[in-house]
Amino acid sequence: MATTDTLAFEIGTEEIPAFDLKNATAQLETLVPQALDAAGIPHGAVAVYTTPRRLIAIVEDVATATEALTEVFRGPSAKIAIDEQGNYTKAATGFARGKGVAVEDLELRDENGVQYIFATKSTPSKPVAELLPEVLEGVIAKLNWPKSCRWGTTSAQFSRPVRWIVALLGTQVVPVHFADLEAGNLTWGHRVLAPGAHEVASADDLLNVVEAAYVVPSQQMREEVIRKGVADIEAKTGFKAQLPPKTLTEVINLSEYPTVLMGTFDEEFLQVPEEIIVDAMLMHQRYFPLYDQEGKLTNCFIIVSNGDPAFSDNIIEGNQRVVAARLYDAKFFYDEDRKQPLDAYVRRLDEVVFQETLGTMLEKTTRVVKMTARLVADADLYVDQARDIARAAYLSKADLVTNAVIEFTSVQGIMGSYYATASGENERVARAIAEHYKPRFAGDSIPADEVGQAVALADKLDTICGLFAIGQAPTGSSDPFALRRAAIGVLSILFAGFPISLVKAVEGSLEIYFRSGLEFDSGAVRDEIIAFFIGRLKAILKDEGATPEAIEAVLSTGVEEPMEIAKRVRALEEARKNQPELFEDLAVAFTRANNLRDASLGTSFKRDLLTPVEADLAAAVTSAQSTVGKAMREGDFAEALAQLAKLRAPIDAFFEEVMVMDEDPAIRENRLKLLNRMVGVFSTVADFSLLA
Amino acid sequence: MNEQACPEGQNLPPTFQQVIMNLQKYWADAGCVILQPYDNEVGAGTNAPATTLRALGPDTWRTAYVQGCRRPTDGRYGENPNRLQFYYQFQVLIKPSPNNIQEMYLGSLRAIGIDVDKHDVRFVEDDWESPTLGAWGLGWEVWIDGMEVTQFTYFQQVGGFECSPIPVEIAYGLERLTMFVQGVDSVYDIVWSRGADGVTFTYGDVYLENEKEYSAYNFEVADTDFLFQEFTDRERDCKKILAAGLPLPAYDAVLKCCHAFNLLDARGVISATERMAYILRVRTLAKACCASYMLHVVGMGVEDPGVQFAKELEEEAAAAAAALEKAEEEQAAVEDAAAAANSNSCGSTSCSASSCEGCPSAQINSL
Repeated sequence: MATTDTLAFEIGTEEIPAFDLKNATAQLETLVPQALDAAGIPHGAVAVYTTPRRLIAIVEDVATATEALTEVFRGPSAKIAIDEQGNYTKAATGFARGKGVAVEDLELRDENGVQYIFATKSTPSKPVAELLPEVLEGVIAKLNWPKSCRWGTTSAQFSRPVRWIVALLGTQVVPVHFADLEAGNLTWGHRVLAPGAHEVASADDLLNVVEAAYVVPSQQMREEVIRKGVADIEAKTGFKAQLPPKTLTEVINLSEYPTVLMGTFDEEFLQVPEEIIVDAMLMHQRYFPLYDQEGKLTNCFIIVSNGDPAFSDNIIEGNQRVVAARLYDAKFFYDEDRKQPLDAYVRRLDEVVFQETLGTMLEKTTRVVKMTARLVADADLYVDQARDIARAAYLSKADLVTNAVIEFTSVQGIMGSYYATASGENERVARAIAEHYKPRFAGDSIPADEVGQAVALADKLDTICGLFAIGQAPTGSSDPFALRRAAIGVLSILFAGFPISLVKAVEGSLEIYFRSGLEFDSGAVRDEIIAFFIGRLKAILKDEGATPEAIEAVLSTGVEEPMEIAKRVRALEEARKNQPELFEDLAVAFTRANNLRDASLGTSFKRDLLTPVEADLAAAVTSAQSTVGKAMREGDFAEALAQLAKLRAPIDAFFEEVMVMDEDPAIRENRLKLLNRMVGVFSTVADFSLLA
Repeated sequence: MNEQACPEGQNLPPTFQQVIMNLQKYWADAGCVILQPYDNEVGAGTNAPATTLRALGPDTWRTAYVQGCRRPTDGRYGENPNRLQFYYQFQVLIKPSPNNIQEMYLGSLRAIGIDVDKHDVRFVEDDWESPTLGAWGLGWEVWIDGMEVTQFTYFQQVGGFECSPIPVEIAYGLERLTMFVQGVDSVYDIVWSRGADGVTFTYGDVYLENEKEYSAYNFEVADTDFLFQEFTDRERDCKKILAAGLPLPAYDAVLKCCHAFNLLDARGVISATERMAYILRVRTLAKACCASYMLHVVGMGVEDPGVQFAKELEEEAAAAAAALEKAEEEQAAVEDAAAAANSNSCGSTSCSASSCEGCPSAQINSL
């Protein structure tokens, strides 16, 4: 009769980092059932609970003994398994070894009149308690941490030192060993609310004991507590809290017994730009800022404490003093920074490295200014725009050496914008300084106007071209300068209609580097960068639903300008969608013609050798040659496709009625010349053979 | 203790020096060697040899000490209430790390008058890495009610060597901690001492002038030519000392290099590109000191960095000697040429004139 018990397993640790904990929780959910299954231990539901100081798995209905198992396997036939002398062959011994059975235990049995060897494998029932130590030790070993810590004198590794282990099957302690610890039935409570060891009588009690010791044992439960506490404060104040997912995860995994509290700071600090205050609160202190109904930052903020709720006043007061000190710093920096106009900081950019070989931020600024001049010329912008762009480019990085940005890095650009306004720069220049880092992440918006867009383009192109020039293109998962994101940013700005040639811009940027004395193979680097942009573009077009063959068909004509590629791919896909049969047909015809094509013959066919059907095609091709050519010159790709589509009827008629490979070489060659000319017309538009 | 020390028996919080003395007492009772501050400029308590070098090797080691730390670029002329170019850390290093070290740490907070049960004490992930030392560790910054007061680190590697056993380092920011304990908002308002007669000295009384003068010195006055030269000289000295197999004095030279570099940095004369090169030079020396310590003090069979340095120095000396010889040869050649030119002069051995024309002696001779 099968009996079952609950298994409770707790790894007690020093505080595990928030994100590593989140990740480990997910791992445990699969590792525990996997390990039990692999050991053949029948079990019920597995539940995982984690806090910064413990990882818990509770497994219901764990069989106390594994099932006895008898498995019978049929092996090779006797003919193969037994040689003339009556000995087992290699095939037989191999089969026995594979099944884990001794050769002597193999049997011969008759099945449908044929003799086979059989192996019978019996796995006796084993007490699960004996298997569990190895199973659970395996779980500990398999947990994967981004960084592992050693401690004391043990050679064991874990995210942070492990200080206790509870392992109980029912009431029985499972002797799991790890580091210099042996599992027992003692767990540890919350550091201050229930310090010390707490005995766990049986596996079913572990969660109760832990909860009674002021530990909210799972991420979900702590999140609920925190969200409820935040909602209560929102209801009481009428304010709205901002809970960014990253900070929320950290806060959830920075406490075992969260209490949500509200603090305030002196309203005087609200003169400091909101972004710095929010950065200080979210990034440094893990507080949640509160906003009023108009969406304006208030001087109230939310603290999630791990302390004793009885001393909340104490804890709030302490936190308020920390915020005051931080905001004092912020205000001090902000006031200091504004004592000089923003342009006074530009010179000091020579203290900040952009990239070792590519020089300092000052050098980058100089290149970005030159680059914007080229973009302005290519885009043919107005003089006042050009003036703003040059000014914004010159000031774009100046805030990197201001105190506020050195201290609160996430506000780069934003501070520059505040300082620009304070120094009397116009609104468009100020906004461009803030926005030239855009788009900062996937789905982020692009800079609002041409000024910001031009600076953003110049800055990103400078980064991409420079790093490619020194051979530091992104590889695999390594993209430390986020060049892929920069490239997507450039393309988004172009898609939004910024009217420049990317190819020219890339060449321009490389020329600026070249003139500044950087040595590189400009042709090869240029091609690499264009290919890199086209790679990003392909991904974007595929996301839009373009097929790989349409993209390749367009690219095969050698077109390099991403916006032109996108336009053609979209037009081609649109045409194929509207007239699928027609394009299928054209593709097949083109492929036939292309296969027969013999470029060495040229395209000058003789009219007098043509049959009427051939003459029709010749006339159509000749006319298409000029209409398609005109459409392509005018950049009207859709029109070019429409003109090609007109060739369908004469082509179909040609292939239906004409035998190209005529016995008469003169006729044959003439037909091939006609086909050559037809292929030529198609080829300027796209490689239709890829669309068949 | 502090109750006794205050005049009317009021329950006053501990003074700065009481915080220090209580920590020393607490960690002394825990078996630590209480060292006095290291007498060389360091940027952090970690950089004192009692931590950096003693973290290496298998021997048990327990120490606690106050360390004055110099960070020239953090100077604010005494105008910022939270930032100093010279401040104090209380440093604890225990190898191997004890199992109850977190509890011991919380006990030390109680010992300085922080009732941890009434506050929110957190261990917030903060891993430590020192590229200049080839060292890294895992641990936390400890927060009390949101204020970072301590760095708590399990060293994993120092000087490029795996630590075994693992030391744990606890570095308290003494000013922050005392500000918290005393409930003051400016570092300069910290009560440093309070006599039985009620006379008190504040941190400002003791250090405000120091902050003002050193901020001016660090940012405006420090002689950069001297410091560049010092860096180079100390670097050379370090190599020489390592060639002699003496890691402890060699490490002092590294600390001197670091301080010179930090001052140059504060003076704003180290360009961004040079900066990396200087850091690499310091790293080479620091790692070499650790290797030398492993070899000569711990007794591990690692490659002696002194051999390479000795070779470098020899080559340098040989090159210098060769250059000198060459210069002498050139000198001799010049003299020979001059002598040859002189051969058509009067021939007098003491005569160095290139011709006798206009020479008074020649005129005399010709007479």
